[in-house]
Amino acid sequence: MAEARITCEGLGKRYGALWALRSADLTFHKGEVVMLIGPNASGKTTLIKCLLGLVHPTEGRITVEDTVIDARARAPQPDYRNSIGYMPQISQFPPSLTIAQLFAMMADVRGLAPDQLDDRLIAELGLDRQLDKRLSTLSGGTRQKVSAVLAFRTHPTILVMDEPTAGLDPVSAARVLKEAGALRDHGGTVLITSHLMEEVEALADRVAYLEDGALRFLLPVNVILERTGATRLAQGLPRLLEQMNEHQRTH
Amino acid sequence: MGKVFKYTLIDLARNRFVLGYALLMLALSQGLFLLEDDPMKAMLSLVQVVLALVPLIALIFTVVYLYDIQEFTQLLAVQPIARRSILGGQLLALATALLVAQGFGLGLPLLVHAPGPSALMLSLSGSALVLVFAALGALIALRQREKARGVGMALVLWLGFVLVYDAVLMWLMFTTSDYPVEPFVVPLAALNPIDLARILVMLEIDLAAMMGYSGAVYKSFFGSAAGMTMAGAILVLWVLLPTWGAFRVFRRKDL
Repeated sequence: MAEARITCEGLGKRYGALWALRSADLTFHKGEVVMLIGPNASGKTTLIKCLLGLVHPTEGRITVEDTVIDARARAPQPDYRNSIGYMPQISQFPPSLTIAQLFAMMADVRGLAPDQLDDRLIAELGLDRQLDKRLSTLSGGTRQKVSAVLAFRTHPTILVMDEPTAGLDPVSAARVLKEAGALRDHGGTVLITSHLMEEVEALADRVAYLEDGALRFLLPVNVILERTGATRLAQGLPRLLEQMNEHQRTH
Repeated sequence: MGKVFKYTLIDLARNRFVLGYALLMLALSQGLFLLEDDPMKAMLSLVQVVLALVPLIALIFTVVYLYDIQEFTQLLAVQPIARRSILGGQLLALATALLVAQGFGLGLPLLVHAPGPSALMLSLSGSALVLVFAALGALIALRQREKARGVGMALVLWLGFVLVYDAVLMWLMFTTSDYPVEPFVVPLAALNPIDLARILVMLEIDLAAMMGYSGAVYKSFFGSAAGMTMAGAILVLWVLLPTWGAFRVFRRKDL
């Protein structure tokens, strides 16, 4: 078994009376891609935001490498986020900055010199000809490309992608997913939420399924397919859920 | 903080609203000075404009801008920098952009048409109002998740300071006019930053004499060096308290 990179123990988040995430115990390893799926409001985004430090957990703790984020303690120093790349679902940037200025800003914020950055994606996604364009003039798809570059260029070891292919053209989407795969192959941990299972299943090593704020299972893709006799996740997942519901009813 | 400040300021430097604010203030100031033969009369009209318009614009712009960059603030919060650096940089950039716009639109015409201590006091009071209401705007934007409600709250707050507070004070003075409470009630105006700015400018222009007994009370209260220091301290508190509140909210906020 690969070494653990992120461990969540009894992780929970409550908004008022509503538990968006309850008692989640899960571990993400080095060198794997985990697909987080579940219906709307199942707790996927809350889980991701807890990991990223955007949301303060109500209970439990998260260990990212050597850093502990404990619901009962003060938030840790932000240095641990040096290893994190994040591609949000909605990419909005300061409207009057140019793409080049945004890239410079984010490198500055991390204190990285140009030679410490991986800028291959800028050209590969066709952004090199648009660096002087203001961010307010970009289409949603181009903003997503900018977001992808920002997520990858700092050599993260943990990559969190929230609906990464939404708004991207198929070629760019495939390129971004290929890069995520390469990161995994170099020992990185990639967490992806997506409703488009077909796009991501070839990449995923394990699938975490959340429902009503609770983790129902975290299983390797091949185990899901074996247990259900399906050839694709899109078929296997509903069958597995059916099996689990049936098991619950009979026990 | 410096890095967030730098790039937020670059963004704000090209912001149409900031440019519009600078040009509006310039048009109003220049227009008033050109319409009036007596620069002092023009400045009196300008005082009313500044006291009403500056708080409104600083408040609404801060609220709207912070809502509009919410997603980007999330992205910044995922970077290895402290939240206080993010908010500090953004607020400092907002205040700087608004102050520069105001310096261009208000300060420049004042310097050209009516240079002197009164103009300086009006500029300083206007700047203080920018800082106070930008801080209040930040607190509103961070406490209230919905943009429409945030803007609504900002408008209510502005109306409260511009109209309601004074109306309540006048009602209080009217209903207690049989008793010598004015020396106690009038200083309450200082708790409203807009009134405080008005008092400081009026005292500098020496218009307090035209305000009757209330003016005399203001003069005895704020006319001395100690009174001015206290007025300045209250304005600083009006900046610091909401700013502190905004940092406190942002540190604990789920983004």
